Amino acid sequence: MTTADLTLAARQEPTVPTRKTKRIDWLGLAITLALGIVVVVPLVVVAIWAFAEVWRYPSILPQEFGLRFWEATLSRPDVWQAMSLSIRLSLTVTLLSAVICLPAAYAFARLDFPGRNLLFLSFLASHAFPKFGLLVAIASIFLNLGLVSTFWGVVLIQLVGTLMMMIWIPVAAFQNVDRAMEEAARDAGAGPLRVFWSVSLPQAAPTIGAAVLLSFVGTFYETEGAWLIGAPEIRTMPVLMITFINNQIVVQYGAVLSVLLWVPSFFALMFSRRLVGSSSFAKGFGV
Amino acid sequence: MTHTSSSGTVRKGGTAKRNGRGLTGLLLVSAPVALLGWLIIYPIFNAVARTLFTAGDEGLHFSLDTYQRFFTDGYALNNLWLTLWVTAVCAACLMAICLPLALYLRFAKSRVAAVVQGLALFPMFVPSVILAYALIRTIGPNGGVDLVLNAVGLPKINSPYLTPWGPVIGLVWDNIPLTTLMLVAGLGGVSDNAVEAARDAGARRFALLRYIILPQIGNAMLVVLSFTVLGIFSAFTLPYVLGPASPEMMGPFMQRTFSQLSDSRMAVTQAVITFAICACFGAFYVRSIAKNREARR
Amino acid sequence: MAQLSLKNIGKSFDGTDVIRDVSLDVADGELVCLLGPSGSGKSTILRMVGGFETPDRGSILIDGQDVTLILPEKRPTGMVFQSHALWSHMSVADNVAFGLKLRRMPRREIQAKVADALGLVGLKDYGTRRVWQLSGGQQQRVAIARALVLEPKILLLDEPFASLDQHLREHLREELRDIQRRLGITTLFVTHGQDEALALADRIVVLQQGDLEQVASPDRMYRAPETRFVAGFIGSMNFLACDMRHGRADHPLFPVEAPVADGPVELAIRPEALTVAPARAPQAKVHRTTDYGSHLLVDIDLADGTRVKAMCPPSARFAAGDGVTLTADRVTLFRGQKKLAEVSPRPARELSHA
Repeated sequence: MTTADLTLAARQEPTVPTRKTKRIDWLGLAITLALGIVVVVPLVVVAIWAFAEVWRYPSILPQEFGLRFWEATLSRPDVWQAMSLSIRLSLTVTLLSAVICLPAAYAFARLDFPGRNLLFLSFLASHAFPKFGLLVAIASIFLNLGLVSTFWGVVLIQLVGTLMMMIWIPVAAFQNVDRAMEEAARDAGAGPLRVFWSVSLPQAAPTIGAAVLLSFVGTFYETEGAWLIGAPEIRTMPVLMITFINNQIVVQYGAVLSVLLWVPSFFALMFSRRLVGSSSFAKGFGV
Repeated sequence: MTHTSSSGTVRKGGTAKRNGRGLTGLLLVSAPVALLGWLIIYPIFNAVARTLFTAGDEGLHFSLDTYQRFFTDGYALNNLWLTLWVTAVCAACLMAICLPLALYLRFAKSRVAAVVQGLALFPMFVPSVILAYALIRTIGPNGGVDLVLNAVGLPKINSPYLTPWGPVIGLVWDNIPLTTLMLVAGLGGVSDNAVEAARDAGARRFALLRYIILPQIGNAMLVVLSFTVLGIFSAFTLPYVLGPASPEMMGPFMQRTFSQLSDSRMAVTQAVITFAICACFGAFYVRSIAKNREARR
Repeated sequence: MAQLSLKNIGKSFDGTDVIRDVSLDVADGELVCLLGPSGSGKSTILRMVGGFETPDRGSILIDGQDVTLILPEKRPTGMVFQSHALWSHMSVADNVAFGLKLRRMPRREIQAKVADALGLVGLKDYGTRRVWQLSGGQQQRVAIARALVLEPKILLLDEPFASLDQHLREHLREELRDIQRRLGITTLFVTHGQDEALALADRIVVLQQGDLEQVASPDRMYRAPETRFVAGFIGSMNFLACDMRHGRADHPLFPVEAPVADGPVELAIRPEALTVAPARAPQAKVHRTTDYGSHLLVDIDLADGTRVKAMCPPSARFAAGDGVTLTADRVTLFRGQKKLAEVSPRPARELSHA
């Protein structure tokens, strides 16, 4: 039986004088203000310090501004060594992590093999151990293997830190690719590998890209493993920062480095905000 | 290694082909699984074994000597108490700050909410080293806050730098984004319709929270709490830079025992003690992940 | 020009049979609709023909060649998916060209074929568009073009119009029918909408729980259902339970005579086979009338409490509570699932709706 098509005549709304009903979100503005002060002010203070040449208490702003300390900081050889080391480390770790994890993530998302659920769960469960305790346990093993204070020792320990994120975000990304899209490619004559390259990977690429970026920035800033395993030979940028803070050499060194170091995280913020803001990101942590 | 058969489809016929696919899958995950086994699972068991058994004259024998030393050492116990105190205070502060924030983000529909979300996520992209440095410059002695107070003629603050409050402030700051995100995700489970229906039935804000929202996100809150506790309990950078030198939190304590005292066995003992204390949170965390994955299937 | 045969196909998932034992021959250029409720196995059959599932038993032949174990990328089939499954990271033209590129065809030839295929579905100038810039109907047309451009021997469509609204659906299926006729391509079409099947198919295959119920042309399927399931599934049907005694049904209104053994039967009567007339000695009462414009549907309560639907010309005037009598032109008798007989209780009158 066919159902009758009901055509509702468009009713003409009577014209009512409209009042502005849009209310101002005072609560939101208050939260913005409070968060703004708490979150932004410390960073602003650092930024001012970076460009201050003389800033004596109790002046509210520096007496003299200038770039003298930028030159001083950037002419230190240990800064450049740490910078290049940190970049090499982060690149190595991110690359290795991607090579190891992306195929695995695809397998977890699409293939069926014995122990799949248990293995995947064990990746998620690696968050269930206090991280620094775990690092100490790993470090004591590395001590016997002679990996302490070597480049590859630090690479390994930082690799562990990226595993989790580089597995579950891509898994979610691959699972979100419509299966029919992959089947349509098979139907058009593409083999499994070709389907992966031409359909699954490009479809998941934005999310995976964000995950890779987050891993890179996360590794660049990783302090604890680098400090524990790397000391004293391997001094990454954050480790150098800590020495600057501890030794209180010149306040501005730390400030200049902070401003410099903040550049990569700014990019990470720009490119991965959509991923981080999505609920699936938080769900990966077990909510 | 245990192989549980997954709940996937087992079909009659074509078994050879299916085995082939199973092997491919295992092969693809083998590298990260090996890393996981070698760098997470093995070290944990190794740590427990190493601290419980010592090599004596006639081979290995069971010994609790390092644990005894830890629990009779007043300094170590002070460190442990400090860590527990900081963790508890941080967790309480985070819940107090992030729950209202998450509620706002979940239910607000104005454009301001996007700004709030951006600000709340912001700390995630500030590395803890920079944060530590910024906090010293801001709330440290003669820092930014002191400058402002001085300028308006008020006395200086009692600087939290190098007191237990230093790491508390730093850790709360650092953990706001993830805690808020996870709570917002938890609140995603409360449907708009459920809230609207309750409002329709006459529930005011407080009643909504008490009877509709909180009961539905109870589990999510516990997961968030476990996650936060696990993160804060063994934090290193912020306590190391901002915290007091004595007593110190477990993170710096372990690091010092390992690197400066070169007593790796004692350091591992301390690590095992942190594992044991966090075990219930960890177990709860794993259980709820497993349950969530089960439910989503 | 291709002919498709399924020979004793069987398939089970997790120990339950999804397809029991299905055999089907589709002739060259024929359009066959697989119709059935959800879970009847119609999509599974289609996916087995496409190569996305492997049957546990039986074999699939295209032009006499066994393709049962051939991978989907090697099969001469083209599939259109319900979710259109267009690759959103490619332009419309790239979507259509993908399979041709895999075949390492020269660029010029690809361009010509893509233009032809897009022209065929009426999207000539849309090649450079992105997939998400198209409407739902346009997306599904691109999906059809993408399947056709590879010149498959068998075209497979898996509820392609299910997510579109009524008007668009009717429009697109007419277009599809025209294209299919013009190309003379052998087509298998899965749907759960009977109107779609009746409008499109050369033959309809009704499936239920993994078994073929009936294979017939649309008009046979409607007018001569072979099983009680098909009778109830296609169109609407009144079923009246009664007993047969000595070759006569003991229903008070329809004492039809048929050479059927004694026992319980169900009388199946189409609404349009019922004639309603006002009566002084009513056998039944009008419960409600619904005016569909082209016809009037009258719900009638019988004395024993059963409710039947009758189709009347729009000029008929009935009000709720009116007493009426009913006569039936054509009654089919079922016992269980089995059809026993078809009878016309009285000389068939010419009816306006015939």
